[in-house]
Amino acid sequence: MLDEPGGIPESPFQRGAAAAWLIGPAFLILAAWLMLGSQRGDLPLAPAVLVASDQITPGARRDPMGEPPSVMSGGFKHACNECHRVFDSPTAQHRPMVQHTHITLKHGMNDNCFNCHNRENREKLVLYTGDLISFDQVPRLCSQCHGTVYRDWQRGTHGKTMGSWDAASGLQIRLECNDCHDPHAPAYPPIAPLPAPQTLRMGLQFPYGAHEHEHHVPLQEGAGRNRKPAAHPEKHE
Amino acid sequence: MSVRIWDGPSATLDDPQPPRMTRRSFLRGTTAAAGGLAALVAALNPLREFTQQDEFTLDQFLQKHYKEMTPEDMEKALARIRAEVEKRYGVRPHLRDVKPRAGVEFVYALNLSRCIGCRKCVYACVAENNQSRSPQIQYIRVIEMPRGTLDTEKGNHHYTHPKVPDINHFYMPVQCHQCANPPCVKVCPVEATWQEPDGITVIDYDWCIGCRYCEAACPYWARRFNFAQPDLAGDAINPDMSYLSNRPRPKGVMEKCHFCLHRTREGRLPACLEACPTGARKFGNVLDPNSEVAQILKTKRVFVLKEEVGTLPRFFYYFDERYPNSLDPEAVKIGQAIGCFPGSPAPEALA
Repeated sequence: MLDEPGGIPESPFQRGAAAAWLIGPAFLILAAWLMLGSQRGDLPLAPAVLVASDQITPGARRDPMGEPPSVMSGGFKHACNECHRVFDSPTAQHRPMVQHTHITLKHGMNDNCFNCHNRENREKLVLYTGDLISFDQVPRLCSQCHGTVYRDWQRGTHGKTMGSWDAASGLQIRLECNDCHDPHAPAYPPIAPLPAPQTLRMGLQFPYGAHEHEHHVPLQEGAGRNRKPAAHPEKHE
Repeated sequence: MSVRIWDGPSATLDDPQPPRMTRRSFLRGTTAAAGGLAALVAALNPLREFTQQDEFTLDQFLQKHYKEMTPEDMEKALARIRAEVEKRYGVRPHLRDVKPRAGVEFVYALNLSRCIGCRKCVYACVAENNQSRSPQIQYIRVIEMPRGTLDTEKGNHHYTHPKVPDINHFYMPVQCHQCANPPCVKVCPVEATWQEPDGITVIDYDWCIGCRYCEAACPYWARRFNFAQPDLAGDAINPDMSYLSNRPRPKGVMEKCHFCLHRTREGRLPACLEACPTGARKFGNVLDPNSEVAQILKTKRVFVLKEEVGTLPRFFYYFDERYPNSLDPEAVKIGQAIGCFPGSPAPEALA
């Protein structure tokens, strides 16, 4: 050690002088790296998946026949009895339709027009008891067979409610049977799903349907597109 | 024995004076200082971009926590956000701070017998809540599950059938369960997320530091992080906004489902519910015994997801007693046997 009297007093600056030469260039390299690193910008993002607003419009899926019932023909509104006063219909169940050809009858055992429609007055519906009801009392008609669903609907546990969650507000709209179900083919038809997600953290990235070599990189452009439809182990058709 | 490198002109044994500034040491010091300064500026460069992109203002920096804000503070904050939204998106938002109602506790119920997996709720939510379209952020995950299990690990999010429902699967949408015992709130180091009196867990986006602890804590994977500046698809922005719900979020904060509190606290229904074509989604005040959700809890077979983790969700799943589903091959067999389906044997044959 340089402790002899008269020696030059040592300063930390002196002792690290060789290293000190490196500090400046090191800082400059760091600065360059930081500048270039931040210039890389964000990841190239996948293009946005846009869904037309009419696909998510709230509301009933059907536009049921109002009260009094009518059909549009030749640009004019006609009441049912205008024709049916003159033309009766045969009661045969599976006769070919001449009019009302848009109707598909897929209601299980209930395949006779006059189970629900009144033969004498076509602007009325008919209950099992023979009582006539108007077209805006459809739930009474359906409840004759679908008792458990009717009970659930009365409680609010079946069917769709719109407007407000607060029944006291007076803004609540309870949809009725034929606002969603077609009375002639009441099973809810399968519909096309909206696009699959391309988000982060959506479960296992190799679900039973997808392939292991498909890397899930949702932030980057091109990821997830051209994804093959999931191959299902069980075919159903 | 240390090595002496000092070689200045005054470094003689005869001269005990401290070394004075030399040309060499001056250059050395200047280079280091300039390099250091450049490195510092370069390191702060992202911050400069950040302030340019996000309109980061002193007002925002000095803004208090939501719970500490006076009504005047809130008015000031709302005015600032309105101006920012208008500047960035060209839309004058209807922004306000909607407070919870007394005597209301919101609960969600979802009918797994009715959900068909069409994902309309997902995109209604995205549109309502101004979620980022790119990178994609969605609050609702619709999981396609093989029949006969409730193990979400077996589920698939990426199903692409031409038509749903697929007969071999059922569909389970998952979103924030608004737990009564929320793990996400417990782990937040800055109290940027908390549970409101009506049961909704909210986030103050201006207070969130983006640590993502809550995302890791949530057993339902309900929380989303803004990895990039959200792309809100231009004119598709929803101007009906509130402070704690769907105002545009900046990059680097968490977000999640908030039961559309800007709608529900004003009596309306959540956007996902209104978009659901099958009425599988039910929402309401569980404290009102006549509400739909209270009736469901009373009369239906209800379960919660991951009950064992003790989060006490306010989101319930339930089933219907269904009569034969024409899509279910097993049910069709039964239905035909009892004469409920076309192709049934004649009633006489059964007798």
